[in-house]
Amino acid sequence: MVFKDVVKVYPLPAGDVTALDGINFKVERGEFISVMGPSGSGKSTLLNLMGCLDTPTSGDISISGTRIRDMSDVELTNLRRDRIGFIFQYFNLFPLLNIIENVTFPMMLKSQKTVDPEKGKEVLRSVQLDDSLFTHTPVEVSGGQQQRVSIARALINDPDILLCDEPTGNLDSKTGAGIMDLMTELNRKGTTIIMVTHDPNIAKYSRRTIRIADGRIVE
Amino acid sequence: MIFWEIAKRNIRTHMLRSTLAMLGIVIGVVAIASMGILGNSLVATVSESLSSVGDSVTVSPYSGGGGFGAGGGTGGGSSVNLKLSDQNFQQIKRAVAPNVAIPVLSTSERMKVGVGSDDIVATIYGVDPQYIPDLKLVLTAGDYNNGNSGCLVGSTFAEDHNIKVGSRISIGSDGEKGTLRVTGIIEERGMSFDLSTDNAIVATQDWFDNTYNRNDYDQIIVKVKEGQDTADVKTLIEKQLNKRDKIVSVMDSKATMNTIYETFGTVTTFVSAIGGISMVVAGVSIFNIMMMSVNERIKEIGIMRSIGTQKKEVMSMFIYEAAIIGVIGSIAGGILSIVAGYLISALMLGSTKYLITIANALSVGEAICFGIVVCLACGIYPAWQAANLNPIDALRHE
Repeated sequence: MVFKDVVKVYPLPAGDVTALDGINFKVERGEFISVMGPSGSGKSTLLNLMGCLDTPTSGDISISGTRIRDMSDVELTNLRRDRIGFIFQYFNLFPLLNIIENVTFPMMLKSQKTVDPEKGKEVLRSVQLDDSLFTHTPVEVSGGQQQRVSIARALINDPDILLCDEPTGNLDSKTGAGIMDLMTELNRKGTTIIMVTHDPNIAKYSRRTIRIADGRIVE
Repeated sequence: MIFWEIAKRNIRTHMLRSTLAMLGIVIGVVAIASMGILGNSLVATVSESLSSVGDSVTVSPYSGGGGFGAGGGTGGGSSVNLKLSDQNFQQIKRAVAPNVAIPVLSTSERMKVGVGSDDIVATIYGVDPQYIPDLKLVLTAGDYNNGNSGCLVGSTFAEDHNIKVGSRISIGSDGEKGTLRVTGIIEERGMSFDLSTDNAIVATQDWFDNTYNRNDYDQIIVKVKEGQDTADVKTLIEKQLNKRDKIVSVMDSKATMNTIYETFGTVTTFVSAIGGISMVVAGVSIFNIMMMSVNERIKEIGIMRSIGTQKKEVMSMFIYEAAIIGVIGSIAGGILSIVAGYLISALMLGSTKYLITIANALSVGEAICFGIVVCLACGIYPAWQAANLNPIDALRHE
């Protein structure tokens, strides 16, 4: 993934707000990067652009050589589905679906039909979730377990990049450490991980840190 | 597919809300379909009454204004003596041949049925007995061979006054116009364009001529043979008799029946449209519920979009939800409308024999389809709004 002179401006009634101002960086396959910075520095905007949820006002973002500016909404949605995995601070599981259905949801989007739950079970086991919880709904399991389900859902379509927004921000330190060990393990197996965090202790798990302030990369 | 499953589960999760929305649709479908059933049954009932007289053209003297001046009984107290002459009859007979032209005399008269009974007033028709079969007067008792002082009486008249074959009826306040002997009872005919016999007496033309000293007619009924058009016969008569001045009014029973059917159709449509208002209210309720559903699930929509759900898939999820409410509500309404149609027909028409008809099935089917279409239509905007939410804003939504 390559960011080249990326600028993101939000036009607001009170005046334009520049969230990102000339961002340049490159993410190599297999990297584990943490993005740090104070509130309002542009971290979330950066994550949204990396996740193809938004497009830059100017500059280019390329993923495997393809410029996202040239892609339609349908193509961007397919890109998110097939090549990007999202892990959120508040887990964001679907309350109407049980755990196995939550995990296989992106698979169903991809195949457009009912899928074999076996792969979902495999991925859930790989994130150390007990088989007995597979048919439970998200509210019936703990926060740590929900985050594991969220990670499993992000991994189900074998994405190139995992984007994590404060993945441990809603967990106690012990459970958070468990989640970070799991992510380190995933990165060791080759998954590219980009993680937004406030917590320097969590950022230590990454191999590179991008610090951002006032919409610019500072180091 | 997963979105169908999510739609089903969301309805189950909000069962009370969904049931109330369905109830609105049920009421709307019942209102429209049962009104349709009532209208169709009404038309069927009237059609049955009129079917036997759909082949008639009735000629009456032109009264200047309305068309049916000398129809049922003008003899008694009429200040204007509008009659058809024998010459008119002969002209009509020639014009409509080979169809049968039947001259009819009529008057309202006082009479007594049995010794010491009160005076009653009824219509007396004078018809040549040779035309009785052409008039398709079906007898439930007795026969047509009534002789000069014999007569046929309508079923309602017979029932009301306890008249049987062989009974005698004194005509006039004091019986001064003679006595008629009942030789037959005419089956109930209901509404009629030619002779309204249910509450009348049909005497012979000779008796009528002698009693009232008549040599003219009140109306001439033309019975149009199968394969010929009543409208053509009407035109023939008008061309023949109304060449210079309008002297006769000609009523084409088929055209009148069509007008009646059209009127019933309009009334049915109007009443169904009133029922449709409840469907509009139900539609507003569905719209409201769907908007609530979208607003409650904004974050969920944001998550779906962020992990690769297409806009059309988000839209389909809400459309499925509206469709489930619409289909269940409409089908339940359709079933209930048959029950409602049964009760309304039984109470208002006194008969349910026209309940199971193609027209009623169509009315129920149309109401069901309308209910589903209303639900889908009311679900489209909320679904579109959900699909077009900005994923970033949706994800931030609390």
